[in-house]
Order: sequence, then structure tokens, then C-alpha cells
Amino acid sequence: MPVPQNSTPSAATSGTHIAVENLQIHYGTVLAVRGVSFTVEQGEQLTLLGPSGCGKTTTLRAIAGLEKPTSGEIRIGGAPVYSSARKVNLPAENRGLSMVFQSYAIWPHMTVFENVAYGLRVRRESKAEIGTKVDRALDMVQMRPYRDRRASQLSGGQQQRVALARAFVFSPSVLLFDEPLSNLDAKLRGDMRIELRELQHRLGITSVYVTHDLEEALAMSDRIVVMRDGVIEQVGTPNEIYNLPRNAFVADFVGSANLINGRHRADLDTDGLVAIETAGGDIVYGSAYGRPVGDTATMSVRTVHFKFSTQRPAGERNVWPVKVDRMVFQGDFTQVHVTWSGQHLVIRCAALEPIEGAHDAFMSVDPRRVVLLEAEKADA
Amino acid sequence: MTQTVIAGRRFSAQAVAGVVVAIVAAVLVLYPVFFLLQAALDVGDPDVRPPTAYGFSNFGGLLQYPQIIFNTLGVSFVATALALVFGFALAWILTRTNVPGRRWLEPLMVVPFYLTPLLGALAWSMLGSQESGFINQFWRALGGTGYIIDANTAFGIAWVMAFFEGSVAFVMISAVMKSMDPSLEEASQVMGASRWRTMLRITLPLVIPGVLGAAIFVFAEMLGSFAAALVLGSPNRFYVVTTAIYQLTQQYPPKIPLAAAMGASLFIVMFLMLFVYRWIVTAGSYVTITGKAFRPRVNDVGRLRYVLLAFCLLYLFVAVVLPLATLIYASFQKLAVAFPAADNWTLNNYRTAMSMNAVRSALGNSLILGLATATIGVLLMTLLSWLIYRAKLPGSSIIEYVVMFPQAVPRLVFAFGIMWAWLVSPIPIYGTLWLLLIAYITVFLPLGIRTISGVMLQVDKSLEECAQMCGAPWGYRMRTVTVPLLWPGLIAAWLLLFIASIRELGASILLMGPHSKVITPSIVESWNATSSELTAAMALIQTAVVAVAVAILLALTRRVGGHTRME
Repeated sequence: MPVPQNSTPSAATSGTHIAVENLQIHYGTVLAVRGVSFTVEQGEQLTLLGPSGCGKTTTLRAIAGLEKPTSGEIRIGGAPVYSSARKVNLPAENRGLSMVFQSYAIWPHMTVFENVAYGLRVRRESKAEIGTKVDRALDMVQMRPYRDRRASQLSGGQQQRVALARAFVFSPSVLLFDEPLSNLDAKLRGDMRIELRELQHRLGITSVYVTHDLEEALAMSDRIVVMRDGVIEQVGTPNEIYNLPRNAFVADFVGSANLINGRHRADLDTDGLVAIETAGGDIVYGSAYGRPVGDTATMSVRTVHFKFSTQRPAGERNVWPVKVDRMVFQGDFTQVHVTWSGQHLVIRCAALEPIEGAHDAFMSVDPRRVVLLEAEKADA
Repeated sequence: MTQTVIAGRRFSAQAVAGVVVAIVAAVLVLYPVFFLLQAALDVGDPDVRPPTAYGFSNFGGLLQYPQIIFNTLGVSFVATALALVFGFALAWILTRTNVPGRRWLEPLMVVPFYLTPLLGALAWSMLGSQESGFINQFWRALGGTGYIIDANTAFGIAWVMAFFEGSVAFVMISAVMKSMDPSLEEASQVMGASRWRTMLRITLPLVIPGVLGAAIFVFAEMLGSFAAALVLGSPNRFYVVTTAIYQLTQQYPPKIPLAAAMGASLFIVMFLMLFVYRWIVTAGSYVTITGKAFRPRVNDVGRLRYVLLAFCLLYLFVAVVLPLATLIYASFQKLAVAFPAADNWTLNNYRTAMSMNAVRSALGNSLILGLATATIGVLLMTLLSWLIYRAKLPGSSIIEYVVMFPQAVPRLVFAFGIMWAWLVSPIPIYGTLWLLLIAYITVFLPLGIRTISGVMLQVDKSLEECAQMCGAPWGYRMRTVTVPLLWPGLIAAWLLLFIASIRELGASILLMGPHSKVITPSIVESWNATSSELTAAMALIQTAVVAVAVAILLALTRRVGGHTRME
């Protein structure tokens, strides 16, 4: 079963590159970021993931120096660029970072070449040097043939590539991405996702990526920070975040999940499994993965991990008859809405034969796929 | 880098420039306002400054002039009502009906605004004075007796102002009509409501806040209007507040405290009205004002469209063609009479105008002032716009209020404060062009900042932030990204300031000295002291200068539109 315990980032790690400590940011009178701490390792790609308004972009902009935090500390390469205690706030242009903006921010009054050369010109590099570096960068994003075009003559995807080349051409120590793919259409977004990931590996550059798109976060990150309402909900590898969500929010936001509440039946615990009894009287076996079990507990099951069948499957544990409410054909999968134990659940099945009429149906799930969530805080 | 360390704290070039510019703007605006209020509250010996005693009795003195208040309210009310009727009718015709030629009619409707109240007043005075007015001459030639119209009345002033303010109302109301989502009306019709019911229950309620806003805005402007009342009212001793203030400062002995109290009261009333206007436009309106432009639904009005076209053309004829033609005709006459005679034509008026030392130096001074005001103004106002709308420094909303302040004060009243402030200043610029330059830049702050910030807000903020992330310091960013992107807007602002300076009357008439004459007050002087034919020639020379600038402006704004769509 590919459920890892504690994994390390896949990228080569040689120490902490960015450290964010107890960061608080007010947006007007609203506290948008409420004490966030995390680190980014050298060469790592870290993603800030969360719904809109969760404070992820504000956090990124604070690292960039475009937003002034209220308190906390941000260190890059060990040196504080912002510190409320030490009264340090380095302006963005002196932090040695670079950023790709959601709107691409391609300057319409310059050519592609001039756009990309901007950072090098600021750094007063020689003309020859600028020419070589810009061409190399444009080659990497396959935009060399467009170097003399006006930015206004480019498509969205092309603007995206130019923005990318412009961001890394002057070898910044860190690359920041603010939802760079959200303005592209779905197909292009998928392609750019892979390209961006490969480029990041080739450059070996530390990057912080902000997105609200789960697939993007899972596909591109070494580690993911899930945020909600200005606080961090969970930090982990894509695998951990997906398979071992810490709480109901992460379970539901990172892919779709069914939540099952029940009373802990310690008397039925066997084989390292935790048993709970639902309000409807059904017994569900799940796995705690080292988390403490309270008197009542919530289990999370991903919609794809339920198995749906018309024949009763073999086995005793976690097999139940269900009442099918409706089936929705969605192309790559079929979504089955069922009533079970007095609650509604959603099951996603790949390539399901259509079922005619009201049949008896069954639902089952591997107990290792039933994940015990941590107890919610009182206010959540 | 751009940072210098002073006493352990960092000061960036940006912060220093910001603070300096903000202070300059605050001094320009608040210093005269302070002196205006000081003069209004001065109840001590009128010949001693600073005042020996303060009190409110000057304001009480206003009540001794109920006629002036009554005149002002009457003229403003009639002009506002007329302007709204014109503006609403034209806006509805041109945005919501299939009247022929909408595309070229729409820009023409703004032309009356560029003709200025002064020009309108001069022309209508020639057309409609009791004895010599052309229209009345025609009337008598047709066998009538006496006169049929009299421009030198309250209604005459309101009539002239109605065309000027009608353009303002037209622009404001048609903007509201254009920003109304047509699906709101379509939804009503789909639900089965008739066209009339839709109009009454959906369209009208949605448009009303916009019309109300325009009404308040126009009324406030009318309270502070000066030129038409000066030309048409003064000969009959018909005074509104602004002309009364002017009269009180010019007569001997001048009644400065009373004039100041009038000015202060006027500005308090206008300030409150503009406050209400802002409230209506922001909080009081419904979903129609989204800033998004829709393609409005066009009603097929059948044959009626030719009647509507005739209405538009008639409006343009009365508001533009007739006054301009009158001035042109008069300027080529030895003695302006309604019926042209062969021996009455002459070019002498233009020759005289161009050869008179006073006129030449006034025109020259106006051009110099226009160039200087526009150039210095654009620099200052760009920095201010950037500070207020981009840098978001602490206190930027206070700076915004301060620099927008002159909008609520009639230019004549503001000039009064400037005059009073600089009379006591040790810097000897009173009566020089320098004082006029300072006055122009101050009173045009709202105009310039609104124009520049309008373009600035269209430019995506991340374009600047990206330059910052590329490591560019503030000055470098401004030079390579901000200013080039704003360029078309800056040129438009430059031309607007240039035009406004050349045409400025209210502030100039109080502040110009005997050796620093400018053109617009000189036209008024010529009207009072010399012939109407010569005055017409002078007014047309000024109009020609402005027309060239407007033509450039219109050509440019078309290009600006193309540029910003690129974003």
C-alpha cells in the first residue's frame, strides 16, 4: 500500500533557504495571515495551497517584499529581510528574488527581448552578456523565434513563457509563483504544469508556488502547505496531504472525501485497526496512523477509495449494503450517490456499466483507506 | 542603491519624494483656504492684518443681501433643470434609440462644453440684448415692436449655462445608461412585462441615482459659476454670489471681510453638495454602476427617429452653431448689426486685436502660463496620483482629500484666498505671472489628478511590482515602466491643463496685475470698455488656440483607448 509515513523532500536538501516565522499580516483592519511559520529548503519547490482568501497570496507577497507584514520574521539565506523585532524591512528590489505574476505582467510597451532583458539591464550587465543570457532563457521556454515581437502580439500561453524567462534569466536565488497558470485554459495548463516542473528541476532553484488548484499542487510540489483563514492546516508531501489529511478541511479541500462520524468502540479494535459505530449502528474499521483516538471520532474516505458493486463482495469488515440515490455519468468516471447508515455518501467509480432499475448494491472499503482525522479544535 | 541611512533609519528616494510632494500640495491648497477663513472671521479693524478680533458677524452680514442669495438659487435652479432635460433627452436618444448617425452625433454633444460660458454669454448678449440684439432686430424688421428676448436677465444667464452644463449632464447620464446591464431589462420582458412596464419599473429606477447625482453635481457647479453672470448680469446690476464677491473686492472701499464670508459660505455649501454627490455615486446606487460597459439595448422608435434626430441637430445649432456664427459674423463687422451691408465688412478688428499691445502681451502671457502650468502641473500631479493611488503610503487618503479640495471651491473664491495669502507674504510675487502659475496649478489639481489617476488605475499594478521584483529601484521603475505606460494619459492631462489655463477667468480676473494680463479677463475688460466687435475677434483668437489643442486631444484620446485595450 503506498501510504508513506514520514518522507523527506525528493529534491536535494542542503539546509533551510527561506524561513517564515510567526508571520502576521493585516489587510486593512482584517488579520489576513494569523501567525504562519514554515521553512523552504534549498532547491525545494514548496506550494502554498488553499481556497481564495486563505492568505496564501498575501504570504507570498510578504516574502517578495510587496506587502508589509504586521509582525513576525522572514529570513532568506539566514539573513532577515523582514523582522518586526529588529525593525528590518528590505524593499522588494533588494531581496534578490524573482516572481511570476498571475496576470503575467508583461510590459506592453516593450518587445519580448526587452521584457526578458529588463532584470539584466537593471544589474548593468554588458550588452553581449545580456544578448547571450536572454537568448538562452528564451530557448529554454521555446520563445526564441518571438524575441522581437511586441508583447501585445502574444497569446496567453506565450506571455506566460516570456514571464517565466524574464523571472529566471538573472539567476535569482528564489523564484516566487503567484497562481501563474490560473489564466490559461485547461489543456494548456496541464502542459505548462509539466514544463514548469521540469524547468524548476533543471534550474535547481528554490521556489514558492501559490495555487488554489489541487492537481497543480500535487503534481508540482516537493511539499505542500495547506492554508485556511490565515492559518496553516497541514504541511507535508503531496502523498501525505492526499492520503493522510489531518482534518476534515484538508480531507475535503485536497480531493473530495466522505466524512464518517461515530463513537469509538475500543472493544472491537483488532489488528491495529480502530472501530467506530455510526449513529445508524454500522461498524466502520479504520486506521489511526499513530493519531490519538478520542471517545468520538471522524474518519475520512476518499470518494475513489470506496468500491461499489452489485454483487456482495467477499469479506466481513467494511462491507455494507447501500441504497443508490442516483448515478451521474461524468466521462472518465461515474459518480454514485448513495444513502448509507442515515447519511449521504459519494463514490467515484471508473468505467462503470450502467445499472438499470433499482438493484441491490454494495459498498466496501479497505480499512487502511479509512483515515482517522485529528480531533477538531472547538471553534472549527 | 537609492537608500541613505539617516540616524539609523532608512529613507528611500520614494519616501522623500512622496513627503516633499505631499507637503507642496498641502501648502498650495491649505494656505489660501486658511487665509480665506481668517478674512471671513475678521471682525476687527479692516485695515490691520493680521486681524485684531475674530467673530461670526460677517456671516450675519450676508443676510442683508437676500436678493443675491435668491438670484443665485434661481439661476442655478433653472439652469440645472434645463441642463438635466437636455442631458437626459440627448443621453436617452443617443444611447437607447436607433436615431440615425448616433456614432458621429455623440462626440459632438460635448462641444458646447468646450465653447465656455464666457463665449456663450458674449454671443447671446449680441443675439438677445433688448435694443441691439440680432434676434430682436429681426423681430422689429418683421414688424414687431419692443423685443422678444432679453439675454441680460436671470433666465438669459441660466439659458447660456444650461448648454454648458447640459454637456456635463449628458456625459454623466449617458455613462449610467451605458453601464446598465441590458439583461436586467431583458429579464423583465422575459417574465412577461410590457415594454412600458419595463421602462417604468426597471429602467427608470436604475437610472435615477445617476440622474440625481448629475443634478447635484451640476447644481453645485452652477452655484460657483461666474463668467455668464458677469457678462450678462453686471450691466443691469443683477448679481449672483460670485459676481457679488468680485464686486465687493473691486469697489472702493472694498468690503473684504464680507466678500470672504460670502466665499466661505459658498464653499461650505458646495462642499456639502459634492459630499452628497459622492455618497449617491458610491453608496446610493444599485448594481448599474459596475464600471463595466455593456452594449445598451437599442429601441426601435420607428419614424420618431427623424424627429429625435431633428431635436439633436436643433440642440447643436442653438448651443454651438448659432453662438459661434454670431461671434464670427460680428468680428468681421465695423458695427455689428443684424443685416449685413457691403460697406460694413472689415478685418480691422483682428488687426486691432493683434496689434494692441495689451492683447498681444495678454495672449503671450496666457500661452506662457499654459505651457508652464501644463508642464509643471503634469509632473506634480503624476507624482501625487502615484502617491495616492499606488504607493498607498499612510495618510494617502488625507492627501487625496486635500488635493481634491479645490473642486469644491469656486475658482474666484479660491483666488481670493490666494490673493489674501500672498499679499502678506514676504515673497514679492503678488501681481506677477508667478502668482497666476501657483493659482492655476492649485485650482487645476483635481482636474489633472483625475485624468492621470484614471489612466494609472487602468494600468495593472503588477506591471510595476514586476519591475520591482526584477530588482529595479524606484526611480528606474518610474522611468522605464510607470511613465512610458502612462504616457498617452500624461499627454492628455497636459493638453487639458493647457486648455484650462488659456480659458481661465475666475482666478485670473482677481489675481492678474497691470503688468501680468492674461487673455480671458482681457476679453471681459474689452467687452466692458471697448467694442463688442473687437471683443468677438479676441474671443475667437482664443477659441482658435483652444480648438487646435482640443483637436490634438481628441486624436490622442482615440489612441489612448487603443493602448489600454491592449492590457
